[in-house]
Amino acid sequence: MRKYVVAALAAAGVAALATAAFGSTQSPSRANASASAATASVACGKTRTIGLAAPITGPAAAIGNQQVRWAKYYVKQWNAQKANKNKQIKVISGDTQLGVDTAFAVKVAKSFASNSKVLGVVGPAGSQEVVASTSSYKGGGLAFVSGSATRTTLTDGHTDGNRRGFFFRVVPNDSVQAPTVANYITGKLKAKRVYIIDDQETYSQGLANGVESRLKAKGVSTTRDSISQTASDFSSQIAKIPGNTQIIYIPWQLAPQAQAFGQQLKAAGKGSIKLFGSDGLFAPGTWKIAGSYDSFFPVDTNAGAVKAYVKAHHGDGEYFGAPSYVAAQVVVGAVTKACADGKASRAEVRKDIAKSKLKSSILGLPVSFTAGGDLKGGGFGVYQIQSNGSFKRIG
Amino acid sequence: MNPALSQQLRNLAGLGVGLVAFMLYAVYFSPTQGWVFFFQLTVNGIILGSIYALIALGYSMVYGILKLLNFAHGDVYMIGAFIGFGVLTLLGGPLNPEIPVALLVLCMFVVAMLGSGFLGLAIERFAYRPLRDAPRIAPLISALGVAFFLENSALLLFGSQFRNYDGYDLISYNGIHVGGANGVFIQYLGVIVIVGAVLLMLALLALVRWTRLGKAMRAVSFDREGAAMMGIDPDRVIAATFFIGSALAGAAGVMFGLLFSQIYHLMGFLAGLKGFTAAVVGGIGSIPGAMLGGLLVGLIESWAKGYLNGNVSDLVVFGILIGVMLVRPSGLLGTPALQKV
Repeated sequence: MRKYVVAALAAAGVAALATAAFGSTQSPSRANASASAATASVACGKTRTIGLAAPITGPAAAIGNQQVRWAKYYVKQWNAQKANKNKQIKVISGDTQLGVDTAFAVKVAKSFASNSKVLGVVGPAGSQEVVASTSSYKGGGLAFVSGSATRTTLTDGHTDGNRRGFFFRVVPNDSVQAPTVANYITGKLKAKRVYIIDDQETYSQGLANGVESRLKAKGVSTTRDSISQTASDFSSQIAKIPGNTQIIYIPWQLAPQAQAFGQQLKAAGKGSIKLFGSDGLFAPGTWKIAGSYDSFFPVDTNAGAVKAYVKAHHGDGEYFGAPSYVAAQVVVGAVTKACADGKASRAEVRKDIAKSKLKSSILGLPVSFTAGGDLKGGGFGVYQIQSNGSFKRIG
Repeated sequence: MNPALSQQLRNLAGLGVGLVAFMLYAVYFSPTQGWVFFFQLTVNGIILGSIYALIALGYSMVYGILKLLNFAHGDVYMIGAFIGFGVLTLLGGPLNPEIPVALLVLCMFVVAMLGSGFLGLAIERFAYRPLRDAPRIAPLISALGVAFFLENSALLLFGSQFRNYDGYDLISYNGIHVGGANGVFIQYLGVIVIVGAVLLMLALLALVRWTRLGKAMRAVSFDREGAAMMGIDPDRVIAATFFIGSALAGAAGVMFGLLFSQIYHLMGFLAGLKGFTAAVVGGIGSIPGAMLGGLLVGLIESWAKGYLNGNVSDLVVFGILIGVMLVRPSGLLGTPALQKV
């Protein structure tokens, strides 16, 4: 019996190692393809190609598909313009399955890097995906512009690796989000007892740390706990939460998990405690615990493009994906500029993205980047979930 | 006294002493949370453990009869959860059920158990039976292959989006307070899970003990060739074992969906590992051992999540697996395998 169990575990171990090895290595031919694509100039022709990395399936598919639709919406608008008849953009999508395994994001990055036609990339969505796939994008010389990765240290050049000149984001980072949340909890909600639960991922832990330190500095009593992104049973963690807790802060990425947590909280008789989520949970229709709060990037709902999108989607703004529209705008703009002489290299596209300047955007502010790749300016808003499941901006 | 029984009693006595010591330790070192907190975690652990026990039974039954670790079992449980969700959706969903809720829940269980049972039959027929006389590693690799096959089939069929049972909306957010309003709270859904699991386990025990099929299962488990010479068809008995074990996993999948809401195509991996752990801790091959192991794993996980940080609960559960294997390689209620020479 013991021998059999050992054999079973050994077989499982070999399988796991083989899987890991498969995910972490690339064939020489693919590596060579990436390296040559990084330096080569390609003839732009009438159709230029960009990559779009997003969680199209998986637990974060609800928000990932919003990013896909918004990014493709921009490209559709671009391609429809007469002036761009000979400058058409083609989008190749890659499914990163955020919340399942970062290996999918790496696989997507490798496929884009080895495809010499891809000149720039929109995405990926999650900070942990950015960390995991950076070496593949850098190896291929590709710039990648995220519409949602907010972990502060992604752009400091050392903590999570150096990706300067390659990685850019069109959303403010968590050094902006964390104070917004902490100030709202102390200033508007006047909460004195806050329970903070991270989901053990890069993004979540960074944001939880930021909010916790700021709340503590303001004299708020905080308690910290942690759940895994694969967890479904929260009953024991909920039993730990004192009944007089006012806010539970959950900077998570998976809205279905937040929904299940809210239901189990209510079932445990603690439904009066308010939940406060982060941008990763901005998923109307999936997270629908009425009365909960959420921090998110403000979107200019009066912008023509936003109005048209809302109309085309039967009143649903799908605002989580809106920054990906701007990311696509930045990438397409840089590709077009690099292609001005009929051929372009990825290095040119990277330089042009770094120098991007949009005078206005649907985010309600001009878009340009710091040396680290961060968006200059910008802030977060606070929303509350209504009884019909919609998110209403309240701060 | 039978030495094996004597050993099992010593194991149980040791376990009892350990549990009492832990209870005193937990309450003593957590005075602000006290007894109510401890018993709340214990109730949560029993509910979770009931699900693990149902999964563990499948592992244990198959191992008992075939000496095969059926690593695809966790994914049969996942398919059961999806079948239950399909029935729920077809019959109106949690917010607008088209038939009475009790009947709807019954339908979910029956269809999921039948579906999972037949899936188990198919797995046995096509993935394991052809390898019955092959070296032991061959069916093990086949089991891993079936697990990946099922996970990826579910991905293709259902997508990788999380599905939400909304079990509390379907049944009730209410429950029973034990010890007053500030006492231990047990949701009605939790009661349904515990009662359902106990009924299924009792039915299984009765089947194994008092029916012809049960006798045949015990005979094949003891000596397959000898049983065949006595007129028992081992293939039929093994198929029935797979059907029953898989049906129990299907029921566990529906219970999980109702209780914890979210299901997805990879949910069987960790649950399967926990079920396997429960079977090994209890003594793989032993039906009461699987039940005890399931409850223990559920309790330990619940206590670990409650008294420690949530990110160490799996570490504790699997640490205990290693500990039990080192101290009691046959598990708490298992018997050491006889070496035939």
